[in-house]
Amino acid sequence: MQTSIGLFFVVTAFLSGADDNPMFAPIQDPAPPLTHSANWAREDLDQFVLAQIEAKSWHPTGPADKRTLVRRAYLDLHGLPPTPKQIEVFVNDSRPNAWPRLIDTLLESPRYGERWGRHWLDVARYADTNGMDEDIAYTSAWRYRDYVIDSFNKDKPFDTFIIEQLAGDLLPSGNLAEKREQTIGTGFLSVGPKMLACDDPDKMRRDIVDEQLDTMGRAFLGMTIGCARCHDHKIDPISIKEYYGLAGIFMSTKTLTKYAVVADFHQHDLTEKEVQDGWIKLKKLEGQHGKKGISKEDKERLSGEIATLKKKLTPPFKVMGPTEYPTQNVKVHLRGDYQTLGEEVPRGVPSAWTHGTTIAMPDKQSGRLELARWITSSTNPLTPRVIVNRLWRWHFGRGIVSTPDNFGGLGEAPTHPALLDHLASRFVSSGWSVKSMHRLLMNSATYRQSSHASQVVLDDDPENKLFARWKRRRLEAEVIRDSILMKSGRLDLTMGGSMMQVNSNRYVNRGHLEAHSLVPRRTVYLPVYRSTGYEGMKAFDFADPAVPDGNRRTSTVANQSLFLMNSKFMHQSSGAFAKNILSIPEDERAAHAIKQILGRQASNEEKQRANSFVRNYNHEGKAWSAFARVLFSSNEFLYLE
Amino acid sequence: MLQRSATGFGALALQAMLSKESRGEVKPPPLPGTAKRVIFLFMHGGPSTVDLFDPKPLMTRDNGKPFPLKAPRIQSHKSKNLLLKSPWSCKPHGQSGAQVCDLLPHIASISDDLCFVRSMHCSNSRHGGALLELHTGSDTFVRPSMGSWINYGLGSENDNLPGFITINPSSGHGGAGAWSPAFLPAKYGGTQISGKSGARKVPFIDNPLKDRVKQRKELDLLASFNRDHLEQRAYDHDLESRIASYELAFKMQMEVPGVQDFSQEPDHIKKLYGADAGPTKNFGEQCLMARRFSEAGVRFVQATHRYWDSHGNLTKEHERLCKEMDQPVAGLITDLKQRGLLDETLVLWGGEFGRTPTAQGKDGRDHNPHGFTMFMAGGGIKPGTVFGSTDDYGYYATEDKVHFHDLHATILHILGIDHEKQTYHYAGRDFRLTDVEGRVVKEILA
Repeated sequence: MQTSIGLFFVVTAFLSGADDNPMFAPIQDPAPPLTHSANWAREDLDQFVLAQIEAKSWHPTGPADKRTLVRRAYLDLHGLPPTPKQIEVFVNDSRPNAWPRLIDTLLESPRYGERWGRHWLDVARYADTNGMDEDIAYTSAWRYRDYVIDSFNKDKPFDTFIIEQLAGDLLPSGNLAEKREQTIGTGFLSVGPKMLACDDPDKMRRDIVDEQLDTMGRAFLGMTIGCARCHDHKIDPISIKEYYGLAGIFMSTKTLTKYAVVADFHQHDLTEKEVQDGWIKLKKLEGQHGKKGISKEDKERLSGEIATLKKKLTPPFKVMGPTEYPTQNVKVHLRGDYQTLGEEVPRGVPSAWTHGTTIAMPDKQSGRLELARWITSSTNPLTPRVIVNRLWRWHFGRGIVSTPDNFGGLGEAPTHPALLDHLASRFVSSGWSVKSMHRLLMNSATYRQSSHASQVVLDDDPENKLFARWKRRRLEAEVIRDSILMKSGRLDLTMGGSMMQVNSNRYVNRGHLEAHSLVPRRTVYLPVYRSTGYEGMKAFDFADPAVPDGNRRTSTVANQSLFLMNSKFMHQSSGAFAKNILSIPEDERAAHAIKQILGRQASNEEKQRANSFVRNYNHEGKAWSAFARVLFSSNEFLYLE
Repeated sequence: MLQRSATGFGALALQAMLSKESRGEVKPPPLPGTAKRVIFLFMHGGPSTVDLFDPKPLMTRDNGKPFPLKAPRIQSHKSKNLLLKSPWSCKPHGQSGAQVCDLLPHIASISDDLCFVRSMHCSNSRHGGALLELHTGSDTFVRPSMGSWINYGLGSENDNLPGFITINPSSGHGGAGAWSPAFLPAKYGGTQISGKSGARKVPFIDNPLKDRVKQRKELDLLASFNRDHLEQRAYDHDLESRIASYELAFKMQMEVPGVQDFSQEPDHIKKLYGADAGPTKNFGEQCLMARRFSEAGVRFVQATHRYWDSHGNLTKEHERLCKEMDQPVAGLITDLKQRGLLDETLVLWGGEFGRTPTAQGKDGRDHNPHGFTMFMAGGGIKPGTVFGSTDDYGYYATEDKVHFHDLHATILHILGIDHEKQTYHYAGRDFRLTDVEGRVVKEILA
């Protein structure tokens, strides 16, 4: 019998207090349940899924064919479709381990970090500008974005990744490169939206702290702790008092250099000593040069020296991220109002989370590091559950907890609580390796299912809560854009760096936006302007960087069609594709286009349809361009099958 | 039994989706409303309403003397709080005797159609914060814009047009936050029409080929590929909707340019708005476009006029701004009235805050969120009314105070929506435009 699975969750799901809340219960390593069918499961995780499918007297769906699977793997791990050749290589690879080998190969490519780093950037509400009231440029935020991509690419243990994002600046480091990497991680705390023009510096500081706490809570703990700013959380285990214990940690942290109108954000200067000296020297020379009464010869000599030095000097290495303030405890803000203060609360982690254990806070440091270490410690069961659920969500389109940013009483209960624990314990025992989780999840029979499911599964589980099939879903905004760039031969795979052309702490110019959007680099590298955005990407539900979002919505609206029909981007791309196609024999073009873009053989009828369309168009180049647009806009291209 | 195969059910659904003519499905409002649409004329920067609509003899009499009441705890600029007399004068107009500044003769001439609320107030003393408060109800959290809430509540009147259009909005001071759907479904978000006169357009609405016949063929070919794809699969609502969305986009493409193109408007109408020439041309065009969109069924249209932030050079700047704004606003209201549309359209005029009765420099005023004037006209509003008041110097709203939350509650009420009942469930709780605040200002309703 399988019905008892997860009963311990169901019974206690909506009780408050950590001791009653199953999410705070230690992670179990439950034995995989027995199932009737013995030959479907490939991994232990499949047993958990299968047991619930069988409890409904349903059957899981068989595996998708190899063509479907190879496309799924590329789009899922790289956010780019396979080339026809890559498809053929996999389809013809008859070795029994062809699939895990493919996954390994894909995980080795830097394209992987660009795709999965972008998932994390949604949670980190990443943007290159402040948004809110004053849309000021975060000119060094891109380092954080590149750091995220790099961290995924090198499979940085996720616990380290978390610690660096909360307290990287406080970690010991062996050398400058390490120092930089760790410090850049704290960009996580700084890239959020802030009200920068606030006449009340006290309010401003507290609002920033609230935003940081809220993001941290959602990202790592799946908790909406922001509610406790004004009152004891009605459902989740955090009281208003404990909230201000956490707030004290961030009030002892300096995010802005001044809390005035218009505020500026703190940056660490991690420039090499030699370069730093060079800049000091430059300033000195310029000072001398500007002095009154120096001789003409001296002036010329100085000009020469300045010019030589300027040519040689690399820009200072600025890192956006907070630093420490003198430590302070905060008084409870009654009803969230900082002008009505209650008792002072020592900095700390809510005792409800730690089962009563006090996490000691240092006197001379904010306590960010201690908080980060608690979050990633073996005594906190919440975070591994939250992270594996995020990974599951991004692979399958729906989380085991379908509200990945909210595991609290106000979120949804897990559909497969025992599975969640099984994965969390595997994750921790793998050393928090994200790539190991990809291998595990993708190797499962659950992942390999076809979307062609039985009618009963389609009818009775339209949301695919039981994962008894692959649920077809639309590609995300950046996957659509990147795929079109790639297929039209325009994709520029240059990695990293900034495309912003604005000085630090200056307003961004929305006029640059269209030019950015036409640069054929991967979408993850286009600057994210929080106050606006690329119309085409927004239409396809690009995550709103105002708030953490681990669960992007997928809408179908007419603006998407207008973008595909009429945008400059689409016409440039389809035009580029058509230009290439004209060099091949006329009667092979339709088949070529379908193979290139859709990755399959064209049917005779499709070829006839294409050729007759082109004949009636009166302009060969434009006709093939239109044909490419048709293929780029087709459901076959836009959906992950 | 309805056939569930792709062709059977799919074709039916598609037909149903496409057979709806340009009039879309209208969700009946939960209560009988008096208005169906809103046009919001947003005065970005904060007009000095203490000069324009709320004259204060004591402010002028005590010019240069300290403001005798307690100054606010938070001020956006350090101030000696010395009163500054108005550079202009107001006179009572119409039956209602509403005070209107001499700089606004056109608005003065229709004052009997207007309802002035002189006791507006909000919490934030900075543009961004106050602007977001006005548009979304919150200067602290990311929340849906009121236009999104209204569209969510009432649904579309015309499926071929966006339900919420904002013309020439500010990119700073809240930016997209002012027309964002936030957690509401994406389709309730505002569509931004920016750019210079003549180039203001719905994004991607123009086909670069400029050949509708060819584009139709392209879409037919696409439909044939999508149909094949669908036939090989069991019924899938997403795939169906996407197929339908191209047809909808094609229809939008046919309808929107016609609506936004006001070149065919007769000369006397263009003149009425001042959209023909002169300093009124720019905002006149926006107001005319707003009327055309509204008339075609867009629930919430916003036009933005800027930039009223006269910290210095108040006299000259406000004279210019009033000239640019006065005739277009009065023209719009007059035009709506003569078309019989004013009864079903709520027109709202105002900035994110007003300006202080005290001086900044010799000829400037600072931000004042504590007391300022907005006016309304049309659907459900009692015309020829002056409601609420500020203190003797015009700094604080004192009598019948109306917060932005109250304004929101009132606008929703006029549209037939109970602001306490219209909620959206997100992140585990029910959200409202008015959060836990808001009072319907029944006194100004007809």
